[in-house]
Amino acid sequence: MIHVLIFLPLVFGLAALVLPRQARLLGLVGAGAALVLGLVSFGAYLEGSSGAYQVPLLAEAGVHYAVAWDGVGAVLMLAVVVTTFLALLAAHDVPPAMVGLALLMESGLLGILAARDLVLFYVFFEATLIPSLLMLGLFGGGGRVRALVKFAIFTLVGSLLMLAGILAVRYLGGAPSFLLSDLVAHPLTGTAGMWAFAAFLIAFMVKTPLFPLHVWLPDFHAENHPSGLADAMGTLYKVGLFGLFRWALPLFPEAFLAFQPWLLALAALTALGAAWTAYAQTDWKRLLAYGALSHMGVGALGLFSGTPEGALGAIFLLAASAVYTGALFLFAGSLHRRFGTLDLRPTSGLAKSAPALAALGLILVLAMVGLPGLSGFPGEFMNLLGAWQASPVWTFVGFLAVIAAAAYALGAYQQIFHNAPDKPADDLDAFEWQWGALATLAIVFMGVYPKLFTTALQPAAEALAALLGGGR
Amino acid sequence: MTTLWILFLTALAATFVGFFAPARTAKVFTLLGLVAALVSLALRWGEPFSAYGGLYVLDSFAQGFTLVMIVGGLLALLADCDYFQRRGWPPFEYYALVAFAVLGGHVMASTAHLGVIVVGLELLSIPLYALAASRRDEASYEASLKYFLLGAVASAVFLYGIALYFGATGGFVLGAAGSGPIYAAAVMLLLAGLAFKTALVPFHWWTPDVYQGSPAPVTLFMATAVKAAAFAAFARVLAAVGLEGPLFYALAALVLLTVFWGNLTAMVQGEAKRMLAYSSVAHAGYIALALFGPDPAPAMGYYLLAYALSTGLAFAVLMQLDDGRGVRLGELAGLWNRSPLLGLGWTVALFSLAGLPPLVGFWGKYLVFLEAARGGQYLLVALALFAAVIAAYYYLKLLGAALFAKATKAEKIVLSGSTPVGIALATLLVVLLGVLPGLGFGLFTAANAIVR
Repeated sequence: MIHVLIFLPLVFGLAALVLPRQARLLGLVGAGAALVLGLVSFGAYLEGSSGAYQVPLLAEAGVHYAVAWDGVGAVLMLAVVVTTFLALLAAHDVPPAMVGLALLMESGLLGILAARDLVLFYVFFEATLIPSLLMLGLFGGGGRVRALVKFAIFTLVGSLLMLAGILAVRYLGGAPSFLLSDLVAHPLTGTAGMWAFAAFLIAFMVKTPLFPLHVWLPDFHAENHPSGLADAMGTLYKVGLFGLFRWALPLFPEAFLAFQPWLLALAALTALGAAWTAYAQTDWKRLLAYGALSHMGVGALGLFSGTPEGALGAIFLLAASAVYTGALFLFAGSLHRRFGTLDLRPTSGLAKSAPALAALGLILVLAMVGLPGLSGFPGEFMNLLGAWQASPVWTFVGFLAVIAAAAYALGAYQQIFHNAPDKPADDLDAFEWQWGALATLAIVFMGVYPKLFTTALQPAAEALAALLGGGR
Repeated sequence: MTTLWILFLTALAATFVGFFAPARTAKVFTLLGLVAALVSLALRWGEPFSAYGGLYVLDSFAQGFTLVMIVGGLLALLADCDYFQRRGWPPFEYYALVAFAVLGGHVMASTAHLGVIVVGLELLSIPLYALAASRRDEASYEASLKYFLLGAVASAVFLYGIALYFGATGGFVLGAAGSGPIYAAAVMLLLAGLAFKTALVPFHWWTPDVYQGSPAPVTLFMATAVKAAAFAAFARVLAAVGLEGPLFYALAALVLLTVFWGNLTAMVQGEAKRMLAYSSVAHAGYIALALFGPDPAPAMGYYLLAYALSTGLAFAVLMQLDDGRGVRLGELAGLWNRSPLLGLGWTVALFSLAGLPPLVGFWGKYLVFLEAARGGQYLLVALALFAAVIAAYYYLKLLGAALFAKATKAEKIVLSGSTPVGIALATLLVVLLGVLPGLGFGLFTAANAIVR
């Protein structure tokens, strides 16, 4: 079943590229089937079935096609299938090829989450770049080529460095293959370990992203297709925290502890700096890009604390923010459909003419702000709880960023929906009702019943913290 | 043995058939001959074979490189239909010359005797001088003359190396023990002569002009089959003398110069064929990187196959747009709408050349880097990886020019004859071998170490 889940979107995606007329239908069926399979897989995982499977891919070079769901992979997998379905449901007016590319990305993302072999992980990690680049290049705005080059160069520099690290970790560490279990059993220590960790770190900092390797992000979002489909998929593609959790920290615990104080500072400054910048934005997508960046900073703060709470909170926040940030980008698409612009300033006072739209926006924004009861809160709370044990000072800085979220997110919300004069707009249409209800459901469920997910994440988070010495 | 004879008879048949029948028949003969050679190769795959008192050694190393050459030849012949039909030629000799060149490459790869390498080298080069001129216009003549003059110098250098090698060791067979300054000079001259054909910087100066000026199918053939043949001999010489002392630093310098110079220069070109010419220079550097590993043959062979398929595909697409004056980047615009097959082939070829998975080019790079890492050359690997980022930039530029820019021409490109078959087949192989890397690599790991 795990293979079906990973490759089903690929099949539907290719079909959608070949049959552009049926693309919308193929997209919904493909993403819907993946959603159902994902829920079933998650259920099966909770019952103790990880779907582990392993076969040599390139036996001579120690590369395996090895996949399995663990708690982290399964929770994030849910975020991927839910958000992709939401995005395809919402983006009903995109060019057909975009639907196909989004499904290709979904396949790649699921592969990233399931891979238990480092080279296989790299293959999925890089392969996902291709549809992502094509989506931006083919359907982006006027500055797309510039944004594309920025995005591609940052990503490739990071990932090629990581490739060097991948080769080093196996051959200097002496592991017999690239399987995660083999690599963890043969850790690479000393100076070589530092360099290899740095290579992984840069790759994942680009994809988290963390300051100062985040500069591709705002342009990437601002220039992508206004429907928000590409942005939602791009948000899912920010798997840096997952990469750190699954690969970089377990492979190089020693190097990580040496870097830890710097990394905590970097994460906290990313969180606060991005929140500050978000406050100054007048473009809805840029604001969201910086807001999401700030949240990733908070997540990184938790993860870098090396505590079980922090690691758990980081992945929870990653999953939750994939859903609500993705939904916010789709919401931006709805605004763009009504006004033809993403500028915040000309739109105001929408709440009167479009109350349901305003309500949906409020829920999504509040999730982002981290209101208890919605999906943003548990992750943020646990992140700060974990980080406090490692460094109270940087936690305070991260806390300021969380407060600032209320300022920029609610400020933007007020600008659009409440400031006079009233600019009439249509209320939610059928599509928006559907995806809005689904998104709300997911956000509220994650907020009121986080235990389902934390139970799944707990063992992995504790194992990681034990490997890192508890962060103290 | 059968492979040698089949290639030889194919070349002869293509020559004589042309006297009585139209050029098309010669083409069919050549294609069939190449396929037959491929089959004969496959039937005895992995079984070393030698004849003529050890002058002809078809070991698995030679088999792997011959496979790449035949694939390159097949691609060039399959994709050339429209290019030639638009111009009302080629003459039948064209196909005979291609067949002779493949034969020469095969001979060059299948021997450890320096004299036989020279025979193969000339059998490969002389048809190419003629092929480069076969469009019969200024640019084509210029390409041919440049290639001929510099090629002659390279051959002379190589022969000079042989003479010194004989003086130092008393024999012509590679692997004889030797030492002293004369031996060192001999080895350097041998490698310099071959580095010319493999186009390693600073022996690459002919490449851009010749690639740009030659007819596109000939360029495709040069970039794939000729490079494979040259690398076969290069690797054999190097494996025989061992990579030690000054030679190690010389090769390291060649590799670094090649990947950086090739990629940086490609970045600033405005013409697509020229850009790919410099990219092929850079790829030569990656192939040579494998030589730092303990067992370079499988990785080199696989890289050459991956590169031949990807770059062959890219040239095959360009061929359909080329009006003899080259293809400016702006002329690529709207490729996808003008012909979806060409658009797809172009996209796949460029992502593969840039080394993105799940395409065959990624595994080529991966294996080459792995080989060098196994040899302990982490710094070289890191630097070469950095150069790959530069490469990604101009591949994206080429891709963007075709896909993301506004179209200037709208008329459809109609493909006919064997062209769509060739392009579709290459596209399929690039993807398939990328998804199942073991499939292609298994061919080359059947290879033993290079016979010394």
